Amino acid sequence: MNADIRSPHLDLGDLIAEAAGQPIGDRAQEHLAACEHCQLEANRWNLVADGVRGLAAAAPEAAAVPGVAAVPEVAAVPEAAAVPTRPRRIAQRVAKGPWRRAMLVAGSVAAALVLLVGIGAVTGYVHISRNSTEAALTAVTGCTQLEQADGTLAQVTGNSLVIKVASGQPVTVTTTATTFVTMSGPLLSDITDGASVDVRGSSSGGTIAAAIVTVGQPFGAVNPAGLVPIQGTVSDASTAGFTLVTPTGTRIPVTTSGDTLVVVPHASPGQLQAGTSIFVLGQAGPDGTLSARGVAAITQFQSGATLHVSTSVRDCSPASITEAIGAIGAATGSGG
Amino acid sequence: MSDPRGDGAPIFTVSPEGACDDAALLRRIGQGDEDAMASFYREHGRVVLAQILLVTGERVLAEEVVQDTMLAVWRGAGSFRGESSARSWVIAIARRQTRDRLRGRRLRVVNDAFLADQPSPGPGPEATALDRAELAEVKGAIRELALPHREVLGLAFGSGLSLPEVAGVLEIPVGTVKSRLAAARTALSRILDEKGQDR
Repeated sequence: MNADIRSPHLDLGDLIAEAAGQPIGDRAQEHLAACEHCQLEANRWNLVADGVRGLAAAAPEAAAVPGVAAVPEVAAVPEAAAVPTRPRRIAQRVAKGPWRRAMLVAGSVAAALVLLVGIGAVTGYVHISRNSTEAALTAVTGCTQLEQADGTLAQVTGNSLVIKVASGQPVTVTTTATTFVTMSGPLLSDITDGASVDVRGSSSGGTIAAAIVTVGQPFGAVNPAGLVPIQGTVSDASTAGFTLVTPTGTRIPVTTSGDTLVVVPHASPGQLQAGTSIFVLGQAGPDGTLSARGVAAITQFQSGATLHVSTSVRDCSPASITEAIGAIGAATGSGG
Repeated sequence: MSDPRGDGAPIFTVSPEGACDDAALLRRIGQGDEDAMASFYREHGRVVLAQILLVTGERVLAEEVVQDTMLAVWRGAGSFRGESSARSWVIAIARRQTRDRLRGRRLRVVNDAFLADQPSPGPGPEATALDRAELAEVKGAIRELALPHREVLGLAFGSGLSLPEVAGVLEIPVGTVKSRLAAARTALSRILDEKGQDR
């Protein structure tokens, strides 16, 4: 916070640090959550930072540098990672809009970082943390009406979910028809014949190796840079892949693997499986239940990972909540 | 959250700083370990390239600088004393390489006093230009900034360095880094504003 008592607002260092993905103090965080002036300033810095990162993301692969291989001492250098990695934290914000507001703090395995970074490039902040104990409900930056609960899904009964938070405390979550529910993870069994899908991956020899498959209604939040989307209908689905039939009738072979992230952006509570990681944004009732406005269910690529997600939203609108939940689902559902 | 071991301890060990890994890598590089060089290159190569590309705006030149930088790392890893992060160390090397390459071009030097004279951290008239701007417009405007502004923005937001590390690379005080960033944002806003008025 600004030591200058004449200004109640965040100082420039905090704003820059926040935009750069550097940690800022608790007081600064609290102030930012409550201060519209500082939020506007933070947004402006975020946009500048996004611009820089967008340019960086567009930089050619380091491994493709002509002449590097010609330097004898460096000839053994293999292909560089597709996205610059940051050992201390990962903070890539490229896209404006849905991803800007999602601030994710995820504890995961080092092996999961590469794809996590790839998704993080379009999600907002993806921080690696070891946080393992949290209050049952936590505040959501950007909307004072919202609370967040993170935990493991213990039970589904109709429209009611019971999740166990880090402390082991159960939290009852109620959903309604308007609750936005998304699922993500290595959910290959959700790719079935006749399903409409959006496939993003790399193409080789006419076959697409799917990195991300979005099942059902297209969802703008799942839009990482560098992966060209192809839409169509699934045919000949198997555990190894499927045939994508485009609207013009072209049949494109698609391969899937255990690393393929499957996103079901418009799921129902009944589809959620016990044991998955759950992130809920909603309004807390006097009895401690949480009336959910958005639920992200994450089936992790590597079981047992402890995830902690700290979310901020643009405002309290359904669109903002959908964006935040979508960002959580896409980012934390990725693995390696 | 799930905690299969039930002891509340971190389940995964993600190096919080990565500094130890980089220091070890550089020690191995100093001993001639090509695998370590490969790992270092994977870790930092593209960030360095992106930064130099942002500064120079010339891909071929940036690629050459990265090549020279990595060669300098290969040859000079043994001299790394761990007083800074490996990332800021390699970017500082790249910056010197860039400066050497550009020396003959008589770069327009922007006086720090001029840069620091425009802190404008609060929302001024130009802020509205940023509020209206789309990401693509911002990226285009960044390319039009003066070199010192592009450089400090790249270091602060594209390289993963902290403000003190940026200050170390630029060899200026942290306060000057902040004012230079503020000046860069002001300049960026003006460019956006001008473009907006042209539309």
